[in-house]
Formats: sequence, structure tokens, C-alpha cells
Amino acid sequence: MTLPDNENDNNVASHKMYMGWAIKLAKYALDHGETPVACIFVHYKSKQIVAYGMNDTNNSLTGIAHAEFMAIEQIKSRFPNDPIGFNQFCSDCIVYVTVEPCIMCASALKQLNFKKIYFGCGNDRFGGNGTVLSINQDKSTVNYNGVVYKQKSIPGLYRREAIMLLRYFYVKENKRSPNPRIKLDRNLDKDNFPQINWSHYMNNNLFGQEFGLHNLSHFQTMDDIEEFSTIDWNLIDSTYDNILNDLQLETKHFKLNEYKRLKV
Amino acid sequence: MVKKECNPLHIDYKKCIIEDKLLQVKHSLNNNVPDLTTVWTIEIDPRDSKKVIDFIRSTQDKDPISLQHIKRIKKTEDLKRLKVVIISTTYIGKEADVIDLLNATNIKYELLSNETQIPLIGPSTKELVNQWSKDYWPLTWNGNPNDQILNDYVFDMEFIKKILTTISNISEKELTKGNKYPIVSAFVDPLNKDLITIAVDERNIKDGCSLDHSIICGIKSIAKLQREMLTNDKMNMTSYLCLNYDIYTTHEPCSMCSMALVHSRIKRCIFVRPMQMTGALLPDSGDGYSMHNNKILNSQYEVFEWLGNEFDNIPILCNNICC
Repeated sequence: MTLPDNENDNNVASHKMYMGWAIKLAKYALDHGETPVACIFVHYKSKQIVAYGMNDTNNSLTGIAHAEFMAIEQIKSRFPNDPIGFNQFCSDCIVYVTVEPCIMCASALKQLNFKKIYFGCGNDRFGGNGTVLSINQDKSTVNYNGVVYKQKSIPGLYRREAIMLLRYFYVKENKRSPNPRIKLDRNLDKDNFPQINWSHYMNNNLFGQEFGLHNLSHFQTMDDIEEFSTIDWNLIDSTYDNILNDLQLETKHFKLNEYKRLKV
Repeated sequence: MVKKECNPLHIDYKKCIIEDKLLQVKHSLNNNVPDLTTVWTIEIDPRDSKKVIDFIRSTQDKDPISLQHIKRIKKTEDLKRLKVVIISTTYIGKEADVIDLLNATNIKYELLSNETQIPLIGPSTKELVNQWSKDYWPLTWNGNPNDQILNDYVFDMEFIKKILTTISNISEKELTKGNKYPIVSAFVDPLNKDLITIAVDERNIKDGCSLDHSIICGIKSIAKLQREMLTNDKMNMTSYLCLNYDIYTTHEPCSMCSMALVHSRIKRCIFVRPMQMTGALLPDSGDGYSMHNNKILNSQYEVFEWLGNEFDNIPILCNNICC
């Protein structure tokens, strides 16, 4: 059995499902005192979730325990003493991350040859997939075989929701500060969102391929595509106490051997 | 801070080389375009200039932005009055506070404004002084500001050589053991120079993965050490990530590792072998990132390349390996 190997068979509905998981996990991180950034890795052909990660910098005492690194660790544990199997598997995965990978994570994802990256909002301070640097398109960050290549990275999935979670985080931080601001809601902007300059991340063609011709005008006007133009408040204002269990179950479903047998 | 002529280290200020061995690695791009900062200006009658100079004398030590490289006073376009830079907007941001400060003196002023932009630091050459004076605000020439930066660095050359000898020997041994990635880094704790963490690239070991570069392994093992100390309640409260650590590494780090060092808040990185294709520090390596010197990123670190031939035993790697 072969599944269609068409790059463009992903539609916005399935993006919504996968990025929805990542947003929920980021909300869980927020509710547990971590930076609200999270990711989901999806095995491209079986379309199953195979790993997930959220920021763990506070708990781990390192500045590098970002969501992507935590998910990579999960993949690694599927391949004990099998670095080649690990590398090959990463090449078959798509990354959904709520915030653009930082330069370090962008480099890690590129060196591991991940198939494609989807993210929510840009990362103005550290973004490595088009905002500060474009590691995914560069010549100096090669994959584990030393090959120079360009990796696609596409922004805009639940962008406003990802931005709102970051805003919630900064307001929360103010509460803990020695001089908390009094009228917090005044500082929490729920109505205005910055424009997105799509051309920093992709060209017009790729945009059309990814989001469909009906969205093409948004490339020029620098606003969100139709499917993400109204914010899903329910998604970001709910709590997800069971999400770690749910994700564990999801990832347990995936058995590489079964999948390999299917392919034969 | 010692005076230039009293510095025991031999520094070549033109080539930016210390003791003929360590090359200061800077971002070479955009040297001709200054970073700008805004300042408060007022206009005064020339007869009031003495009062204003007294005022400047009383505030200049408190201002976090040094204004030594600019002329404070210039003539207005009609040549009748003087325009004066009084303080930076970094020092005092709110107009009302500046007015309070000025009202405490008896200076008569007009047109208080925060619209003037000046170069944050002086340029590296005399020619640029003229250009920037025309483009922004009159400047003075006090020599290349990088000379002072070079003069202020602290180096223990013997210690540096000792550490580089250690990691180069390990690197050589790794190659003979069959490690295809004989890359080695040493992490030195600023609070305890005897506490040295050595990390070897683990891509080639049995449970390693393609991301286990020596610097990533080093950062992880320091965090592990800190977690253990925390549980044993011996944690030094000043320990935070790799704050102010010095890192010594055999090969120029890649984009991932150089950025991991930004996240870890290190102070200095010294490397021996440039990686022309994959390196992310030298302005002419790879894509010319100079990751340690990128002003958009929230923190920066010092970088030096070892130029001597003392550590030629460090294996030369294939061009297309990220270190």
C-alpha cells in the first residue's frame, strides 16, 4: 500500500488538527509556569503524531531545553543505539510548532533533515526560519550527511492564538514582579495583531500551494489567511489537564514496525 | 582598566591580535553604519553656556550612555543660539522628569527635544568622524574605540595554552580511536577556574545522535551538575546556565552551537580551527553570521581565534561537518 506522496495533499483542516494539539500543549505549559511554546512531530506518511515537546528551560536549568529539543529526545528514545534509524525517521517527520523555531532549534531541525516545518507566529527576537536569520534556507547549516539543502518552513497556523498565549505569559509575569501593574487588562491587548510579512518566509508560489488560490490576496495584504482570520478563544482559554496523557496515547499508537510491514 | 602603554600584554591594535596568538573576531559588516541612540537637546543663549557646561559636568557620570565621543554644543542654523546635548534618553526617558531636572538649575532654555540621534559609539577611523559628524551630530576623535575594548580584555595566556593543549591532545586521541568527529570543548566556570568540564562530540558513540556536538554535550553536562548540586542543596545561588563561562573548543562552532552559547550567556569562546563552510563565528565563514556579535540577539559574547601553530595536532575535518 502506498499513500499519496504529494507534498500538497495537506489541507488546512489537517493543519488545524495538528497545530491545535500544539496550541493546547502550549496552553498547558503556560498553566504550569513555563513559556507557552510547544510542538508536535507528525510522521509524514502515516499521518500519526510521534512526538511532542514543550519548553523545559526552567526545570532543566539549561537555556537549550526548548520544545523542539524535548520532542527530538522522544524520537531518540524510540531508536536506542540506532543513530541511523533515528536520522532516517526524522527525515520522515513534519514539525508543527506554535512559535517560529529559534536559531538554535532551526539549525537542529535542519541538521536532522526534518521534512517540513509549520509554525504559528514569528519569533522577533530569535527566529531562525526567516525573522532574524533564515537557517532553513542557508548554505552553512548542512544535514547529518553534510548535504547543503533548503528546507520549507511555513508560518501562520493559529498565529493569533500563539501570539495571545505569549501575551498571557507576559501579563502573568507582571503579576509576579515586585511592582505589579494595576490595571492588567489594559495591558492585555486582545484586539490588535501585527501584520505578517509572508515574503520573509516564503514566496508567492509556495504560499498559493500551501494555502490555496482563494488566499492569495493575503500574501500582499500581509494578514492572516481566511481559515485563521478569527481567533478561536475557546482553544486558548480552556484548560488541558489531561493533554500529556492524551498525547502519550496518541504517540503510543504509532509502531514503526507495523508501519514498515504495511509498506511492504 | 590599565592604560594602554602599561598593559603587560602585547596587543596589535591594527590587526586586533593579542600576544601574536589570539585574533579578536568581530562582525566586519556594517562597520561604516553606526548604531544610533537618541538624546535630549535644548537651545540656549550663548551667554548661558557656562551654566550648561556645569550642568553637563554634574550629570555625565550618572548617564549610562557615554557621550565622550560627541561635541556637546553646536551652533543653530541662524548662528545666534546654541543647541546642546544634555543627557541621553536612556538615562531619563520622560519629558516631565527632564524638565524637573532642568528647573532645578537656573538655565534658560527653549525647544527641549528628544529627536536628535547620535552614534552610540565613535567610529573606527578619522575619515568616518567627518562623515558621521555631517550625517548625525558633530563628533570628536579619541582614537578607535575598539582599542579600549582590546586593552580592557583580561587574558591568562598560560592558562589558555594549558586548556588548549588538553583539548587538542584529547582531539588527537579521539581520531586515533576512530571517532569521525574528534571535536572537543572545555567549559571553565568563572567562579572556580579549577572546575573544568570537558566535552567530546558524541555523534559517533552508540547511543549518540546527530545533534550531540561537543558544545551541546558540554551545556547538558553542566546543567546536570547544577541539578545534582541543587538536590544536594550545595547550589551556589550565583550559578545560572553557563553565565560568564569561558569556552575553549577545537573547531569553530556551527549555527546551532554558536546560538546555544548565546542562550547559555557565556562570556568568551576561543577556538582553534576555523570551519570555512559551516562555521558561524568568523565573518568569512559560512553565511557570515558572527552569531556572537548579532545585535538583534539579546546577549553577545567575545570570540577569539587561536593563530599560533602550537595545536596543529588537532585533526582537520571535512569541510561539510557542523561542529
